[in-house]
Amino acid sequence: MIQVQHLTKVYEDLRRGKFEAVSSISFTVAPGEIFGLLGPNGAGKTTVLRILSTVLQPTSGIATIDGYDVAHEPTMVRRRIGFVSNNTAIYDRMTAWEMVAYFGRLHGLSLDAVNARLEVLFEQLRMNEFRDVPGGKMSTGMRQKVSIARALVHDPPVLIFDEATLGLDVLVARNLLEVIRQLRDTGKCLIFSTHIMSEVERLCDRTAIMHHGRILDSGTLPELFERHQKSDFEELFFDLLSRHEADESLPASTATPTLNSPPIEAIA
Amino acid sequence: MTIDSQQKRLQARLANRPKWQSIGLIYAREMRDQLRDRRTLFTIIVLPIMLYPVVGMLLMQMAQFTRAHTTSVCILGVEQVTASDDSTPWRSNTPPLLRRLDADAQPNPTTAPLGGNYEFLPDIAGEQKNLALFGYPSSALGEPDEVARQVTSWVRDGVFDCVLDVRAGIGQTNGSTTATAASDQTAGKLPGEPDTMNLDATDVGSVKVFFNIASDPSMVARGRIESVLNRWRGTWVRDRLHDAGVELSVLDPFQIQGIDIAPKRTRETAFWSKILPFIMLVWAMTGAFYPAIDLVAGEKERGTLETLLCSPALRSEIVWGKLGAVMSFSMLTAVLNAVSMLLTSVLVFQQMGIGPGGTSMGTPPLAPMLWLLVALVPLSALFSALALAVAAMARSSKEGQYYLMPLMMMTLPLVMLPMLPGMVLSVGTSLIPVTGMFLLVRSLIEGHFADALLHLPIVVMVTGLCLTTAMRWAQRQFETESVLFGDGDHWELGAWMRHLWQDRQRAATPTLALACGVIVLVGLFFGKLVITEIPQSMSGLSRLIFFPQIGLILAPTLLMATMMTTSLKSSLRINSVPWRLWPIIALLGFALHPLHVQLATWISTLYPLSPEAIAAMTPFANQLGSANWLGVLFLMAVVPAVCEELTFRGFIFGGLARNQSPLRAILVTAIMFGISHGVLQQSITATIVGLLLGWIALRTGSVLPGILIHLTLNGMSVSMERIADLNVPVINQLIYVGADGAQYLPLYSAMALIFTMTCLLSLYRRTQGTGSIHPLDRIADRVSGPQPVVDPAVTNPTI
Repeated sequence: MIQVQHLTKVYEDLRRGKFEAVSSISFTVAPGEIFGLLGPNGAGKTTVLRILSTVLQPTSGIATIDGYDVAHEPTMVRRRIGFVSNNTAIYDRMTAWEMVAYFGRLHGLSLDAVNARLEVLFEQLRMNEFRDVPGGKMSTGMRQKVSIARALVHDPPVLIFDEATLGLDVLVARNLLEVIRQLRDTGKCLIFSTHIMSEVERLCDRTAIMHHGRILDSGTLPELFERHQKSDFEELFFDLLSRHEADESLPASTATPTLNSPPIEAIA
Repeated sequence: MTIDSQQKRLQARLANRPKWQSIGLIYAREMRDQLRDRRTLFTIIVLPIMLYPVVGMLLMQMAQFTRAHTTSVCILGVEQVTASDDSTPWRSNTPPLLRRLDADAQPNPTTAPLGGNYEFLPDIAGEQKNLALFGYPSSALGEPDEVARQVTSWVRDGVFDCVLDVRAGIGQTNGSTTATAASDQTAGKLPGEPDTMNLDATDVGSVKVFFNIASDPSMVARGRIESVLNRWRGTWVRDRLHDAGVELSVLDPFQIQGIDIAPKRTRETAFWSKILPFIMLVWAMTGAFYPAIDLVAGEKERGTLETLLCSPALRSEIVWGKLGAVMSFSMLTAVLNAVSMLLTSVLVFQQMGIGPGGTSMGTPPLAPMLWLLVALVPLSALFSALALAVAAMARSSKEGQYYLMPLMMMTLPLVMLPMLPGMVLSVGTSLIPVTGMFLLVRSLIEGHFADALLHLPIVVMVTGLCLTTAMRWAQRQFETESVLFGDGDHWELGAWMRHLWQDRQRAATPTLALACGVIVLVGLFFGKLVITEIPQSMSGLSRLIFFPQIGLILAPTLLMATMMTTSLKSSLRINSVPWRLWPIIALLGFALHPLHVQLATWISTLYPLSPEAIAAMTPFANQLGSANWLGVLFLMAVVPAVCEELTFRGFIFGGLARNQSPLRAILVTAIMFGISHGVLQQSITATIVGLLLGWIALRTGSVLPGILIHLTLNGMSVSMERIADLNVPVINQLIYVGADGAQYLPLYSAMALIFTMTCLLSLYRRTQGTGSIHPLDRIADRVSGPQPVVDPAVTNPTI
């Protein structure tokens, strides 16, 4: 469903000149699978997902979703994806219902179809009690639900979640993970980025560990444990990162947000 | 390619067509969003409706206040000019000015006087409402110095608005002096200049009015007193003439009677057709700004723009939808403001009785005003597209406001220009964006349909061109990810300088090229201010050429090329050109010159040079005419050609052309080249020539052909007369010396067009497949440019 080959994104940076936010990464995600992108802030996760959601153009490399090239056929790609990130905010002066219906209509659904779909979605995500509340007056949890409903309104085969649990309380975050798991069970192809290891352990079928724009290793958790002779995921993660840094002989400040990664990384 | 894949490609192509439904959806949402925003509603709808009535009421209040203010005047020496005053002997030859009101009331100057004890005689005074006169007979006054001090302090402190001193003069003229002398003296010495402050009664025949120019009531009082005095003088002169037996009609052999043939309706329209378009355009601009900021910069700030960008809506659909919303608000604001202003001012004008010729304005005729609405649509669209594009560059609403102010400052002159007296619709004015449309509407409102129809195509073309450019710019902003997601908060001077030095490339970057252009233009602007006089000698003349050409144009370019690029040759585009192109290029210069002359002539008839400018240039031309030919060629042809071409077609064009849009590079370079010429008429010609030189620079990939052509054009311009003087038979067939100097024969001008076309065509065909940009620079661009190319082969460029 999602195929990424040698994807590279270069930004121009004042301090470092040309800076590779993503360096030649490759992975595939199949339908009915949750693919996790795990990495510290500034690893390049958001850049990858923004390229997949067609809002950024790759510098080189190819990414396709359902056979459509993200760089050259963005419209077809956008029709097949639902994108939820911390940056995809909701409109302050629109109610939950209006907001989701608006995006449903933009996806080309008829008015009747949108209304029918919204009834189902609002029921499923338990959003009926705030369907007429304007976005400006919603809590973070409500907003996140609206975002998810917005991404699901056209029933896309591919869903992209970029740090979607960021800033949510435990209850709402649990709820979200449950929703994602249900979506996987209906055969959707999901890609999920996070810097929280427990979420990956609980949710993802396969995981790629990213650092400094590179995928250090990827596979199912048991595969990773076996390959690196570790039984603890956190151990494994730090081991990979420190080995990579030793290779690159870079300073150890891994968690510092980079200057020219998109602003989302800095928000966290 | 499999069938499935082929279908997918086809579907993808179809999906990239903008759909009206999506545009409509986005438009409806933006409109609803704005209408739910109280701030927008206030600025755009409530403010105009409230503003004008409130301002109108204030104006009326103030007018009433001005009228209610009592003008108090003190008159010194009343006994000279008062009727039926028994205390002094009455002189029969002085007509009286004043009349005593109440014999008992004595003025008290220390408190604000309100009543007054004198008044002007009714047949002299005219309107006497709110006028209080206080008289002092000469006998009641003290020493002259004391009186002078007293009068000054009265007027300065506002005890009296002005003081009239009639003690001197009036009596002493005594009938024996001629009437003209008396009136001359009165007229000549009225204002109270400091040197006439001395109240000595020695300057015979003058009446003094003391006033304070810093005080408005005092100036009003002065005006009223002077008009009374003028009337008084008039009666006096008439009486004397009558006494001398002169018929009054001798003084007035004829009367002037002005008759305005324009019907009342047109008079009203003329007033409104000037003021209303201005009001509407200014508000159309303001009305576009706030929604534009909110819809783009505001959405970026709130994060909703990214949500929209990852929906299936196309960028073009988003731009069009938002543009529609911004435009709606722009037009709504303009119309509401115009209507509100119209209603209020009509009412206020009626109340105050102001209008052309003292008549009330009445309502403007509504039918012609509909033309204004028709013109509002494209102009609103233009302002909205500009505002949208500029707002897209901002990351927050606050930043958006910073960006839009300069835009407003730049557009405002175009709106102000038609308000200047004497601006009428002509080919020249209709070519100016916004101004042309404004003038067109004005002639439509005034009913000059034939005139309007004649210029309609030009105005439509210019407006259309501006509109298309603005829209494309707006859309480009939405397709540029550095604009949508760029973060410039971390900009630091030090880091930036290091970056400039460390990441130097073979040739200039587009930014560097633009910076160079701006530095050159700003330098030239200030350089012009330094040159104050036309030099009188050849050495002065050469300084006049060398200073801007080498000091202000070439030097900054060479400096930037040396410091900020790694290769002087590449950055100045000094590349070799195949030998087979040179004959064409050489010929092209000569073929172009007649067209260049023709163009310059045409432009100077369109926008005529002022006589002062021509007069200023004449000594310059005379000097050139008398100097050594080779020297003139070097000064006027070689130096400018080399300096200007290296800068414009070399460094600047080379940098801009790397931005993967050579046409835009040609255009921007040509405009900068045009502006560098300073005088408008020359600038237009230079811009057009610059377009051609830019194209040649693009096709040949080198600056050298441009230098040769530029050299030929300039050289021919300064040598035409000398060539004609040589009297070579062949050349005499081409050039003749007419009244305006040497000219080409019309036949040759026509042939030159064919020559030029042939040369250009042949140049085009011979340069096909020639790379205009160095291949290494191209690779560098792919990585650093705004629209990266997906090409796995170019992942690690080595520069």
